[in-house]
Amino acid sequence: MMKLQYIVITSFNALRMNMMRSLLTILGIVIGIAAVTLVMSVSEGARDLIIGRFQDVGSRTIAIEPGREPQGPTDFVEIFTDSLKDRELMAILDKGNVPTLEFAYPQVVVPGAVSFEGETFRGTNIGSSYLIQEIFDLKIEEGAFFDESDISQRAHVAVIGSNVRQELFGFSDSIGKTIKIKDRSFKIIGVLEKKGNVLFLNADDLIIVPYSTAQEYLLGVNHYNGIIGRAVSEEVLDETVFNITATLRELHNITDPVKDDFHVNTQEGAAETVGTITGVLAALLSSVAAISLVVGGIGIMNIMLVSVTERTKEIGLRKAVGATNKDLLTQFLMEAVGLTVAGGVIGIFVGTTLSFILSVVLSRTLNLDWPFSFPINAAALGFFVSAAVGLVFGLYPARKAARKSPIEALRYE
Amino acid sequence: MSPLIDIRNITKTYTDSLVPTHALKGATFAIESGEFIAIMGPSGSGKSTLLHILSFLDRQSTGTYRFNAKSIDEYTDDDLAYIRNKKMGFVFQSFNLLPRATVYDNVRLPLLYSNIPEKEWRQRAEEAIDAVGLAHRMRHDSSALSGGEKQRAAIARAIVCSPDVIFADEPTGNLDSKSGQVVMEIIQNLNKDGKTIILITHETYTAEYAERIIKMFDGAVESDKKVAKRRTNTKAFFK
Repeated sequence: MMKLQYIVITSFNALRMNMMRSLLTILGIVIGIAAVTLVMSVSEGARDLIIGRFQDVGSRTIAIEPGREPQGPTDFVEIFTDSLKDRELMAILDKGNVPTLEFAYPQVVVPGAVSFEGETFRGTNIGSSYLIQEIFDLKIEEGAFFDESDISQRAHVAVIGSNVRQELFGFSDSIGKTIKIKDRSFKIIGVLEKKGNVLFLNADDLIIVPYSTAQEYLLGVNHYNGIIGRAVSEEVLDETVFNITATLRELHNITDPVKDDFHVNTQEGAAETVGTITGVLAALLSSVAAISLVVGGIGIMNIMLVSVTERTKEIGLRKAVGATNKDLLTQFLMEAVGLTVAGGVIGIFVGTTLSFILSVVLSRTLNLDWPFSFPINAAALGFFVSAAVGLVFGLYPARKAARKSPIEALRYE
Repeated sequence: MSPLIDIRNITKTYTDSLVPTHALKGATFAIESGEFIAIMGPSGSGKSTLLHILSFLDRQSTGTYRFNAKSIDEYTDDDLAYIRNKKMGFVFQSFNLLPRATVYDNVRLPLLYSNIPEKEWRQRAEEAIDAVGLAHRMRHDSSALSGGEKQRAAIARAIVCSPDVIFADEPTGNLDSKSGQVVMEIIQNLNKDGKTIILITHETYTAEYAERIIKMFDGAVESDKKVAKRRTNTKAFFK
């Protein structure tokens, strides 16, 4: 048996002699691997970007929303159910039910704009609690946040984000001024520090009023759009979610989880969902890209068959001077694998470069902090897949070479 | 001592395209180690088929072939490859050098498939190239050589593994008479060094370098005679 080192050198020399042909042959593999690398790298970037946003709100945060967990587009309608009210909030705040819940507060969303002396601003109006500061890590720049007594007295007070202040008041003072939401007046008692995006929401566009005030005077409802809470530690997060779920099911007499009229989200769970979605997308796109690998592989097989026929005399000679069938099989298999691996390496390089360019372009144009990292998984996968393509599609031509009769081969003109 | 090569009633029938062709119809002879045999005969006489069987490139249909007293049927294909590499050297009419490879690389080729230690490769290849007088052409591309030089490179390749037998299939067939003479003298010198030579030719002139001529006709041995007046080394090459 010939030493592998010399088989590799022999194969490499054969490929080098047909440089142009070799390069054209591997084009299909290059495109296929580049596409797979690009798709995997970009979807990894997208996932990291989204998961990074979830991490903004802290890993202990728990969101309880009305309606069962959306399984499909039609389920989103259920968000408008009124299954979460004061009774539910009280039940989960009961330490006997959920001992590991640090705090929880309700939240309602108020559609519409705010105005001040003719100036209007479309921000995000929410009815919430002072506890929102804990979750979104909001800091007061001027004035103060409203407190428990403001909530219980349904005070007409508001805390606004820095953009709201800028848009409505410019450089003049805003504390103590009265803004209007849905024709009701609210006195500004606090302005938030500039914060930027938190979980796809611009914190600087927030107008926060006590949830009780919003319910009674702005919306005329007695349910919540959600309850936000926090577990005392990360370790008890799952336990907390479990206890909240159990408490609410008991309260609503639900025995079949399919009939849940609420769902409990955590950052981890949401990240998992995003991870699954991007993973499925990446797999789908990769498999489309992988078709070009099959096409490329057939191209390799074709050119190897041509090469075996062209070099019939060489095969005969090698057999005459002592090459075994296995030697020739290995030699031609190495040539095919050499071709596809070269294609794979070039493809990984091209795909990585494109992915880098794309991350720069996306960051610039969409003003996102699109992360780029060398797609090590895609590179490893691309390398092994290209080698496997060479083995699979090189086997038939290599067997053909190995099985040639030496006298027929030597006689070949 | 048993002969190096001993064939009895060897036949070879090709059954390609439904019509059986009887290339060999029963050949019997023995070749002692160190002999220089020429196999002659018109085309279609079965001399090439005979050479292929003798050199393990093909197997006979019937009859027995003993190489070193062991029947060919006892060898596996890998054994045959090993013996071809270790004990046999090949010289072809059309040289069969690897194109776009140097003389050195061509001569080294059998060593790649041998179990000879790698550290001896260079020395063996250089000695073989030197023995055929091509030392000055060692690093030249094989396609840049003249016909005579190509055949000398092929001889160097045939002897690089120090074989016992050298099979030469019309080695002068593609050469001018001067180059042919040089090649035949090299082959004759290899025989003097103790190598068994089995030469196929249809030229009486070339065959007379041998000590014994086996004439084939229509798939059978027609005659098997010692050469009365053997052609001697004219030292044309080594002058």
